[in-house]
Amino acid sequence: MSLKEIIDRLPEGAEEPFVKTEFTPAFIQALGFTKDDIIPEFSTGAGPVDHAAGRSTNGSRFIDLRQNPRLYVETKGQDKDLTEGHNHYTKVVSQLRRYLLGPNSKTVQWGIITNSLHAQLFRKHGQVIYPATPCMECTDIDAVVSAFRKRMQAPSRALTVAIYNNKGGVGKTTTTINLAAALTLLGKRVLAIDFDPNQQDLGDALDLPPLQGQVWEMLTGKIDVAESITPYKHEFPRAKRTASFDVILSDANMASDFDEVKLRQHIKPNALLKALQPVKQTEYDYILIDVPPNWRIFSQRAVYAADVVLMPVRHDNLHSLQNAGMVVTDLLPEVQVERQKLGDFGPVALPVFLNSLPSKVSHSQAEIMHKAIDKVIKTGKPKKVDLRPYFYPKWTSNRRSLAMERIRYMAHIAKADFYHIPAAFYSKVAFEQYRSFIKEYFLWG
Amino acid sequence: MGLSDVGNLMCLPVDEIEPGPQTDAHDYLIQEASNLLQASQRNWIPIIVKETGVDEYEVIANSFVYEAVLEAGLEKVWCIIADDSPDTALVSSVLANDVVPKVNLSTATHKQIANALDYLIKQPGTLLKGVSVATASARIEDAPRKYWQTLEPITKLKCRLTKSKLKELRKVFYLEPEPLPDVITDITLLDTFTATELKKMAKKRGLKGYSSLKKSDLIKRLSQVE
Repeated sequence: MSLKEIIDRLPEGAEEPFVKTEFTPAFIQALGFTKDDIIPEFSTGAGPVDHAAGRSTNGSRFIDLRQNPRLYVETKGQDKDLTEGHNHYTKVVSQLRRYLLGPNSKTVQWGIITNSLHAQLFRKHGQVIYPATPCMECTDIDAVVSAFRKRMQAPSRALTVAIYNNKGGVGKTTTTINLAAALTLLGKRVLAIDFDPNQQDLGDALDLPPLQGQVWEMLTGKIDVAESITPYKHEFPRAKRTASFDVILSDANMASDFDEVKLRQHIKPNALLKALQPVKQTEYDYILIDVPPNWRIFSQRAVYAADVVLMPVRHDNLHSLQNAGMVVTDLLPEVQVERQKLGDFGPVALPVFLNSLPSKVSHSQAEIMHKAIDKVIKTGKPKKVDLRPYFYPKWTSNRRSLAMERIRYMAHIAKADFYHIPAAFYSKVAFEQYRSFIKEYFLWG
Repeated sequence: MGLSDVGNLMCLPVDEIEPGPQTDAHDYLIQEASNLLQASQRNWIPIIVKETGVDEYEVIANSFVYEAVLEAGLEKVWCIIADDSPDTALVSSVLANDVVPKVNLSTATHKQIANALDYLIKQPGTLLKGVSVATASARIEDAPRKYWQTLEPITKLKCRLTKSKLKELRKVFYLEPEPLPDVITDITLLDTFTATELKKMAKKRGLKGYSSLKKSDLIKRLSQVE
C-alpha cells in the first residue's frame, strides 16, 4: 500500500495512536529504512520518543543493538494542528528538541515531527538543532518523502554560522576569529570568512593581506571556492605545535571598484551559499561568516548562506539589543522566504549572547538592560514572534530565569588584537572562555 | 488492597514523627508559615515520611513544613508515606529543596561542573568570589580527576581555588575514584607526581638512565613506554 493510500484510509481527524501505528512506520520506511531499523518508544534519556531509526549493519540489526540511532520521529494525531506557529506545533517542536538533546541521542542527526497532515525535518549538528525544511503539507506525500530523503542522504558536515548584528562594534570579528581558533584547538576543521570588503577587519586581525579579485570571481562562479582560501597557521613556540584554520579573506577590489548597483547586477542572493556548497559537504565542521553591520548586499548574501545566525549584543548598548530583536522579527523571515523556494527552511537565530561583559555589572545597570530587553520582546508581539527564547533561553512558563549566555570582558582579548593573533591562541584563559561558550552552544557533551 | 501504607496520604499525630534532614530556613519564614497554618489548620503540602516501626515515622523531606507545623502546634499533620530506601530519601529531599544535590566529580560532564561552580558562586556569602567559571571548569575537566582520591589537586590548577575554598566545593562534589592504572602513560597524570615518585616508577618498569633526568624529561620517558 502506498503512503498516499495509507493517509487516505486514516479516519478524518485520526488520533495519535492511529497515526503512530498506521502511518509513521510506513513513512520511515519510505525514507530508506527497513523494518529492522525502527524501534518504537525509544528511550532518549529525556523521555521516550515515538520512533527511532538507525542503520543495521551486516549481521547486527538496529532493533537488537538499540545503539547509534540516526533519526527520531515524534508523531501527533490529526486533531493536533501542526501548522507552523500554531500552539501544538511549538509544543511538539520543543518536545522533539528535548529528545534530540537527551543523553542517548549523541549520534542522532535528524528529527521529524508529523501528524500525517504536516511533516517537518530538523537537523542536529553537535547540539545545534535547526529546521532543515519548512513544515510541509502532506497532500503530496511523495514530494515530502523525496525532499526529506534528498537532505538525509547527503548531510553536510559543516554548520554554517553567520555572526551578525546590524549594530557595529559589538565584537563580531573578534567573536569570529576566536571561535575559529578555539574550535580549531578542540579538533574541528574551521573555515572563517571575512565578508566585509569595506573594513577587512578579520584579515587585519590575523595580519593577512586582502585578496585581489578572487572573492568576486568566486561569487560570480568563475573560480572554485578552494582557490580563494588562505590557510592561517599559528605556531605555539613552547608546545612546538601548530594550529591552523582556513580563511576566505575579503576582496580589496570589491571595496573600491564597484558600487552597490553593479554588485547586485552580478552577485545573486544565493551566490555565497552556492560557492560554499562543495566545501560545506565534506571539508569543514564549521563555517563562520563575519557579516558586516548593516542590511545591504553583503550582509544579505551572508545571512542567506547560513544555517544559524549568532548575534553578539552588549549589555550597555540598547541598539544592539533592539537590532537583535529586529533581525529575528523582520530580516530573517525575509531571507527564509527566499530560502524556502529552494526547499530549505532558511537561517534561524541562536540565542543572543552578551559580549565582553564586565565581571561586575551594577544592579541598576543590569536592571536597565532587562527592562530594555522586555521592551524588545514586546515589539515581537504584534508580529506574532516570541522573542523571549532568543534572549532568555532558559525561561519557560514554569521557570523565571533571566540567565543569558556571555563572554566576559578580558584584557587578553583586547590585547591580542594588537599582536594580530586570535586571543584564543594567545592566552589560555581566553581560550577557556571561548571553549565554555562553544560547549554551551555548539559541541555535544 | 495490601496492608502497606507506602504511597498513601495520611493524617498522622505529630508526636509519632521523628525529624529528618534539618531545614535552614530563616525564623521569619517559619514564623509566618506557622501563623498561616494556625488559621488553616491543615498543611496541604504534605511532609514526606518513612515508616521506622509501628506508629513510628521519620521525616525524609519537606522538613520546612514539619518545622512550621511544630511551631504552629498542630496535633495532626498530613504526610505521604514513602518507602525506606536511601534513594527515595535522596530524591525526595533534593526535590523538596531540603538539600543541595551533589555530582560525582570523577565522571561529571563539563556542563555539570560549570553549573555546579556557577551555583556556588551565586550563593550569598560565597567564598568563591572572583573565580571564573569558564577557567575553573575547563581546568577541572581536563585534569585527571577520575583518579583523584580527594579534592586537594584542584588547588594546584591555578584557578583561584585555594585550600580554604575546598569546603565550599565539597558542598556539591563527591568522588568515586578509579584505581590508578599499573602503567601510567598519561602526561597530565604523570605531572601530578613528584620527581622521586616518578623515578621509583621508572625503576619498577626496568628503565635505565633515568636517575639524572629532570622531571619534565622523566615524564617524557615514562609517557613513551608501552
